[in-house]
Amino acid sequence: MNLRGKDALRERLAAEYVLGTLRGRARRRFEGLMHGDAALRRTVAEWRDRIGAMAEFVPPATPPMRVWRAIEARLGLQAPAPAWQFWRGGALAWWRTLGVVSSMVAALLLVTVLQGPVAPAVDDVATLTDAQARTALLVTADRDRKLLTVRLVETQPLAADRALQLWAVPREGKPRSLGVLGTGRELSLPLTAQAIGADVALLAVSLEPQGGSPDPNGPSGPILYKGAWVSVM
Amino acid sequence: MQLNEWILGAARKDARAFRQLYDACSPRLFGLALRIVRRPELAEEVLQESFIAIWDHAADYQSSLSAPMTWMTTIVRNKSFDLLRRAGGEADLDIDNAGFDAGIMASLSDPRANPADALELSSEAKALAACMAVLEEKHRDVIGLAFFHDLSHGDVARRLAMPVGTVKTWIRRGLARLHSCLTGGRTA
Repeated sequence: MNLRGKDALRERLAAEYVLGTLRGRARRRFEGLMHGDAALRRTVAEWRDRIGAMAEFVPPATPPMRVWRAIEARLGLQAPAPAWQFWRGGALAWWRTLGVVSSMVAALLLVTVLQGPVAPAVDDVATLTDAQARTALLVTADRDRKLLTVRLVETQPLAADRALQLWAVPREGKPRSLGVLGTGRELSLPLTAQAIGADVALLAVSLEPQGGSPDPNGPSGPILYKGAWVSVM
Repeated sequence: MQLNEWILGAARKDARAFRQLYDACSPRLFGLALRIVRRPELAEEVLQESFIAIWDHAADYQSSLSAPMTWMTTIVRNKSFDLLRRAGGEADLDIDNAGFDAGIMASLSDPRANPADALELSSEAKALAACMAVLEEKHRDVIGLAFFHDLSHGDVARRLAMPVGTVKTWIRRGLARLHSCLTGGRTA
């Protein structure tokens, strides 16, 4: 097929190519011709602008926030996690992966939580995982009732003189204690704006002596579990 | 032009520009995806895949020679069709598509209910809306069907219970008239 000088045919084929009605072998042949014919490529681009504009006749619809979050997570566009005092030198890339994975896990677990008898309003959620990425705790926040709910999913047994302490880790500055966890499977802690502000990137759980870390500036023991703190729209 | 700059920004891997592009265009592109795939969860997947592709291919945008919105809607349209093909066709999705098409197309043909301003259309789309409005209804319908449903001549013919030859002629004439309307009658 030679299209040189056949203007009407070129226009028609370009239009049907863009519309999608040019099919099969004819379509492949046309693509072959486009390859060596810059003018034909331009004709196709013109038709794409003409007919393609039909896409705009559809009423717009606002997509849910989770679509952007998923895109951001897949492309790794979040602001890089900073290094905190006691994790300095840690693998930042790992933190980022963790954020992605735990947001997904959090979303799944959230469904389970919401199926409970009295579904609390959940504004924020974190799934805390151990070094092997196993889920250990689930933390949810109800901002209206100023309540933080901590659910132990699977944590290691503790020695009698030890306790777990929950920390909010801000993007900058020192971690802030959210409280020492008791022995129950589930507990509620007061949610204070000071403890969990918009600057909190992660929640972490450290191993401490009974009563919590003696150091007011942060954990004294090792970090056992951690997870990204994500707000749920 | 703003959209252009943001796409160039995305090509430089500027996350802020990309976010602005998303904020500005995602409602329109999501609307289009919803329109084609019908189910919100599928449309979300299409939108996600499309923006991943926009980020990955932003550097190729210039060579596409297209307007920014056209470039992006082409990606969304292709991703939508891909997803439907993978999902095994849209047989169960198109029950009320005909009614939807009719609504869109009718609004185009009514100059008083001109949707161009209400929808904040690009200049390309405004020009197209004006020219679509003067097409014969059957020509407008077959072009719309083919565009939004990835249909061949044969598919359109089956959908409308018309002979393939007739559908081919309608599409050909409709496109030729659009062309002459859009280029101000320079070509027949």
